[in-house]
Amino acid sequence: MNTLFPLGLPAATAFYLCLYLATLVVHLVFMHYVLAGSIYLAVGRVMGRARCQACNWQSIIVDWLPFATGLAITAGVGPLLFAQILYGREFATANLLLSHRWMAILPVLIVCFYLLYLQKSAWIARRAWAWRPAIAATACAGFLFIAWSWTENHLLMLDRAAWPGMYATSSLWYESAGVLPRLAAWCFVAFPSLAIELAWQGRLLGDRLDEPAAANTRVLGLSPVRRLAVTALSGWAGTLLAAWAYWPAIPAAARTAITGPLGGPWLIMAAMALVMQIVAWSITLVSERLTRGMLIVMTAAWVTTLLGIAVLRETIRLAAVDLATGKELHQTALGIGGLPVFLLFAVLNAVAIGWCIRTVRGQLATRSDGT
Amino acid sequence: MTPLDHYPVIDLGPLMRGLVIGGLGIFHVFLAQFAIGGGMLLCYLQWLHMQGDCRLARRFTDDYFKLLVLVSFVLGAVTGVAMWFTSIQISPRTIGTMVREFHWVWATEWTFFCLEVVAGYLFYRYGSRLPDRTRLQLLALYAFASWMSLFWINGILSWQLTPGTWLETRDVWAGFFNPGFLPSLIFRTISAAAIAALAACTLVNAVPGFTREERQSLVAICARPLVFMLAMPLVGAWYLGTMPADSRGWATGGSVPMTLFLTMAVGSSTLIGLYAILAILRQRLFVNGATASLLLALAFVATAGGEFVREGVRKPFTIREYLYSNSIARDGVADLRRRGSTADDPYPLRDQAHYPNEQLVLGAKVFRAQCSVCHTLDGMNAVAELAATWSIDQRRLNIAQLQRTKPFMPPFAGTPAEVEAIVQLIGWRHAGRPPGWAVSDDPAVLSQIERWLDEAGTGPGDARLVVGARLP
Repeated sequence: MNTLFPLGLPAATAFYLCLYLATLVVHLVFMHYVLAGSIYLAVGRVMGRARCQACNWQSIIVDWLPFATGLAITAGVGPLLFAQILYGREFATANLLLSHRWMAILPVLIVCFYLLYLQKSAWIARRAWAWRPAIAATACAGFLFIAWSWTENHLLMLDRAAWPGMYATSSLWYESAGVLPRLAAWCFVAFPSLAIELAWQGRLLGDRLDEPAAANTRVLGLSPVRRLAVTALSGWAGTLLAAWAYWPAIPAAARTAITGPLGGPWLIMAAMALVMQIVAWSITLVSERLTRGMLIVMTAAWVTTLLGIAVLRETIRLAAVDLATGKELHQTALGIGGLPVFLLFAVLNAVAIGWCIRTVRGQLATRSDGT
Repeated sequence: MTPLDHYPVIDLGPLMRGLVIGGLGIFHVFLAQFAIGGGMLLCYLQWLHMQGDCRLARRFTDDYFKLLVLVSFVLGAVTGVAMWFTSIQISPRTIGTMVREFHWVWATEWTFFCLEVVAGYLFYRYGSRLPDRTRLQLLALYAFASWMSLFWINGILSWQLTPGTWLETRDVWAGFFNPGFLPSLIFRTISAAAIAALAACTLVNAVPGFTREERQSLVAICARPLVFMLAMPLVGAWYLGTMPADSRGWATGGSVPMTLFLTMAVGSSTLIGLYAILAILRQRLFVNGATASLLLALAFVATAGGEFVREGVRKPFTIREYLYSNSIARDGVADLRRRGSTADDPYPLRDQAHYPNEQLVLGAKVFRAQCSVCHTLDGMNAVAELAATWSIDQRRLNIAQLQRTKPFMPPFAGTPAEVEAIVQLIGWRHAGRPPGWAVSDDPAVLSQIERWLDEAGTGPGDARLVVGARLP
């Protein structure tokens, strides 16, 4: 624990941790879109029909949220798989202790998923406006319940001493000072992700974010670009506040690991990338323009911050779990064959996915050109 | 490998824990096979359209794909995750072993999920604006990816029953390409094609805007994959042939429930196959919505029967010759006979205060560790009911020699004192759970139990001793 993550860890553990983190960051990209998007939509819908119709971002979110949810679920399979190799006993125990409460996330997810499709259906278009905020709020509440359950599950995994007592009481709720601030941090950090993803979507759909906005696109006096900047900056402000509240709830050993050689450099890297984003979004807020170059810089800083946060999250967990037992299990797992096959198909399928997107984009462009 | 890993055990009241995974599994398998067969059927329809052989195919493809997305992308995907989580709830050690041994296979399957979702969603979103060739390419990739997800998961699931040479070599590919892999893959592919065809026949009648002649024409085309059902008896027999003799014995008369489930699967499939081939394909009868729905419901019954048999015939194992259905390692029974199955259990009983003495507490812990995955105390498949007519010495003998009492039961993996504790627990519950209950610690009784345990040994029961007359 006195060396930079993951260098001081056993090779097999480090290998699975890297894979876990790489796949987790991909999952976060989509999960953030779903979580922040559903909150953004629920709040937006409450603001009334006229404002909703003026807000291009809400239209994009409504349109893409079901697909993003599908991607978030699919992308979640990878980190879930590697988490079971890394922390199988802890993960299973937390699932079992939370029991029916934990399993409830699945029907809730199904209901939320269908509500997202309902939001973009012809059926809802024929209904009174009041249906839309109600549906958006229900879906949002469902996703928040899922986020809350994951937070509880994660913290319970790390609290081995609480397991027998929690089992004895049959409690389906894990009470810990860390649950609410950690949940808040994860919810707030999703907003900067949403802002960057929406900016890219807007650009790809033809929005000119580097030009002055038309008057009819303003909501509460804010242009689309400013709304993104406000979303991102308020998200970071909330994240920092929640992280500040969460800090005392983190065990002392984990805090030392975060600021020490294991996580310290990652903390500095994440902080620097965060400052870069805040500066970039502040400039955007003032100028009301978002150029492609600025967006690329923001995106690079955003990915760096996400990676840093993911590593720090893992640093806390590594301070809580029994790595000595895990080391043998990870070594055994790494000795099992199949890695080359996975790598081969990962590349082939990534190429196939790229081909699909490129082909469809090309065909649509050709059609819109009339050629 | 440790003999037994202790996890907190969930309490489902009167429900059998094993039944939950079976119920969800049927639902998920049906949806997944619908998605796999649906992809193949849509490719075929798109190809027919491009050949000029079906002018309605393109429109129906778009309609059918919407259903496919709404059902398989949502329910199929989430129930897939649900299967994983439910497996953890029921038997964390089994799913943990499967993940450990096949994590790269699972990771490979995941890459195909990603391709399936992207190709499928692009078709769903932009299909109507794309040229036919691109539509076919997207559908082909979607169908291929979804079938490949079957390919990978089928290897893992069939390994549970027929691990083959993996038991000696521990080689992942020896386990994956196990004796049951190929017949199971072919059988599931045919089932997927049949389910998708029946769902399409139902949808043809549900979608507005088609005339009766158009519906008839579409039904005749969509039902064509049902012809593959002709191969089902052959492939089914092949699959049965790859099963271990005792497992095959359960399904073919050795166990009444398993035989009934197999009969249900075979009977339903036969009815569908006969109707499809004689009435739909040969006589070209029109299939209305009610008939198509009924056939689809029969397909669900067939899937349910088949999946119950697949799950049930693995007994007494959850991973054949490796891990018993109560998550005790086959090679760990001897160790647990010495140390006891509850010695390392860190979890207290939730109702510990209700037991009049420590022996009953021990009995309840033994029940939780060794029996509760398939039995309840008073609900479904209740131990108290099963042992209701046994005398106390019968209980001692039957539990000590569990694998001989019922050959689909694992051997008792504990000390003589643990046998006596569970015997006393059953007796106490039969007596109406009185507040006082004497501890039974007669050394002669414990010695007798130990002799019975030693006689039965630590291996699984030999099924041929019981159903040998019917087995090859």
